[in-house]
Amino acid sequence: MTSVDQASRPASSGLATLVRQPLVVALALIAALLFLGETLSPGFASGEQILRLLIVAALMGIVAAGQNLVIIGGREGIDLSVGGVVSLSAIVAGNVMAGENGGILPAVAACIATGALFGFFNGFGVTFLRIPPLVMTLGMLGVLQGLLVVIRQGIPSGRAAPALSDFVTQSFLFSLPGIIWLWAAIGVFMAFLLRRTVFGYRIFAIGSNEHAAYMAGVPVKLMRISLFVLSGVFAAIAGICLLGYSGSSFANVGEQYMLPSIIAVVFGGTPLSGGKGGYTGTMAGAVLLVILQSILTTINIDDSGRQMVFGATLLVLMLFYGRGRSMRG
Amino acid sequence: MSKLQLRGVRKAYGATVALRRGDMKLDRGEVHVLIGSNGSGKSTLCKIVAGSVRPDGGEVLIDGRSVEFSGPNDARKAGIGIFYQELSLAAHRTVAENICLAALPVSGGVFVDRAKVAETARRYADLFAEVAGTGFSLDATVESLRADQRQLVEIMKTLATEAPILIFDEPTSALDRAQVDCFFGILRRLKEEGRSIIFISHRMDEIFAIGDRVTVMRDGETIETDRIADTDHDAIIRRMVGEKGELAPPAEAANDAASGGGQVILKVEGFSGPGFSNIGFEVTEGEIVGFGGLHGQGQSAVLRALFGATPGNSGSVVLDGRSMSAARPRAAIREGFAYISGDRGRDGAIAGRPILENVTPIHFLKNRLALARPSHLRNKALPALEALKTKYAGLASSINSLSGGNQQKVIIARWLIDRPAVLLLDDPTKGIDLQTKTDLFALIRELAAEGMAIVLYSSEDAELLNNADRILVFNSGAIARELTGSDRTRYNLYHAAYEAA
Repeated sequence: MTSVDQASRPASSGLATLVRQPLVVALALIAALLFLGETLSPGFASGEQILRLLIVAALMGIVAAGQNLVIIGGREGIDLSVGGVVSLSAIVAGNVMAGENGGILPAVAACIATGALFGFFNGFGVTFLRIPPLVMTLGMLGVLQGLLVVIRQGIPSGRAAPALSDFVTQSFLFSLPGIIWLWAAIGVFMAFLLRRTVFGYRIFAIGSNEHAAYMAGVPVKLMRISLFVLSGVFAAIAGICLLGYSGSSFANVGEQYMLPSIIAVVFGGTPLSGGKGGYTGTMAGAVLLVILQSILTTINIDDSGRQMVFGATLLVLMLFYGRGRSMRG
Repeated sequence: MSKLQLRGVRKAYGATVALRRGDMKLDRGEVHVLIGSNGSGKSTLCKIVAGSVRPDGGEVLIDGRSVEFSGPNDARKAGIGIFYQELSLAAHRTVAENICLAALPVSGGVFVDRAKVAETARRYADLFAEVAGTGFSLDATVESLRADQRQLVEIMKTLATEAPILIFDEPTSALDRAQVDCFFGILRRLKEEGRSIIFISHRMDEIFAIGDRVTVMRDGETIETDRIADTDHDAIIRRMVGEKGELAPPAEAANDAASGGGQVILKVEGFSGPGFSNIGFEVTEGEIVGFGGLHGQGQSAVLRALFGATPGNSGSVVLDGRSMSAARPRAAIREGFAYISGDRGRDGAIAGRPILENVTPIHFLKNRLALARPSHLRNKALPALEALKTKYAGLASSINSLSGGNQQKVIIARWLIDRPAVLLLDDPTKGIDLQTKTDLFALIRELAAEGMAIVLYSSEDAELLNNADRILVFNSGAIARELTGSDRTRYNLYHAAYEAA
């Protein structure tokens, strides 16, 4: 391919390029789904309702941020343990803060440490014990689920501090809840991390050619462990917010985030094969999924039905994008 | 009438001619040696006979009848058994199963007859019982075996075809003396039975020990066939070198300066590791030291080990007066090494990522950067790409949008932003176009002139003869000979490369 081909490509496409942009596709789908929801049930697309959807999308999106990093990092990267970390984090937070505002900071610290620890275990198993991420994190999910059962028998479920609940559910700034701002900040952080830091460049490098990255001096193992640690930390943050959202924690509250966090990433244009993608699309993907979830609830499809739809959505996405290709073409 | 005859057989892969003209006759009861330098067409010729490569033209005759194979199975039925240089074993299966793989004994039409498999395998394994070594058994899986034992299994598998025509493409490269002697004893017995054997080896002593006739190949052509008794080492090497005289003498002025005892930048002593042993050499400021010899004699292994890419090395490496041993590339890069591999896909290209990301990783590491500022990176990347006349649309285009040669330029450019002290080149021009090669060697000479110490391994003799100030010829993991000054001739290079180790 000559340089001339390359130069002329963007000019020739216009609308075609626009349609191929995952973000544009996602936004169009979001509008269409909102319209569909409004038709099915008037009031679905009201401001208040949209705000509620955004809060749930933020919870999902924060989990998906870590998932996104692990997936970009390649070598079949995936973190199936995020749901377990979310649940555990919610319980740890509830018990540490025990309904007191003064307990929030220690709770956040404890949760982040917990998330980082389990992320480290995942990363260690994947890099040093050479366990495939799918197996490693699935095993870790099992460990976490067992742990949750034990914890639940021993200690009360814990309560959210009022300030935390307000932060997640009440208007914080410009009539948007704090969690929306937090999510936006995470969005900016992720964009900065991926595009403006050496760490970000190296995530893409190990995701597209691990050996070449190693030969170019990238500390591959350290990088990969860091990605799993970050995934654990993001899941822990989501767990704290989830506690604020629901008021009290209960076991397996986070389980429903595992599959959607992966779907949001793939929908956003990050292929499961790694080395490509970004977080902006993932954010749109999270919003889209939450709207879809809400529509399914509106038309009286229960939780098991929603799970089936989500699973099928992931399979259809895989069919469209292929494992090795991204939407960016 | 010959058992096997080739008449004007040829094969091209796109623009690359692998076999220009293959003519040879193989008699009953003879061991016929094929010899020629890297890429002279030996393996292609064998693959055509074995039916795994289809010729573009020419004729293959067996017992005087013209044959055309549609695949390896056809050739096997016609009585041809082949030992492939790149072994073709099933790693997870047992030795016995591998030996019988070509024609598994079957009972009742579908079931593998295990007793029969064991019996057949036993017959061939017993031939090598004395020399197979510890850990070798019929029930062992191939992956658990040493390299030489795997090669023996491949030999047994070839023998088990019981084919009248047997082809061995470098069957002895991993074997020790006793194993080779045992194998040659078997070949002699087969010869007496009237079987016809084609034998490829780069070891001159083996050729004279086992061969009846020898055919020399050069640049994809069979040049001449002689009886072994009527020829000698020098005559064979002269045929391999051919009429093309010596190439233009290498860059004059720079070399004199280099050989004039400049400051030693890299000093390697008693360096041993997987695939090489007791390597010692020095590279002075501005010198280009070439690694020559047949492919896979330890040249790449030494370069990769110096760069810290392979574990398990010992010996002394002194760079700029500092003793060092790089445990990983990261450390080697910080110490001042650069390594460019000819295998871009594996070692170099960060596939699917923008050119900018492919040019910058070394800069990040050497300057311990945390932030990637696009304007800063652009200012660093552009001159490095320009130095190699790289053709690209923009820094944001994917490296995959470039031709192979330009991809290699991008990968080289990453080392030019912060200059290394020593540049290790591991067959850097593999599979790239002529223009890129020219640009690349112009740059390499320029870098040398600026004082960089350069080690160049190339599988193309012309590149070495034209660019290296000194050539260290590798043979079986050791430096067999050093060629300097007017000794740097193709003849001397081949002579050293083909000498018995």
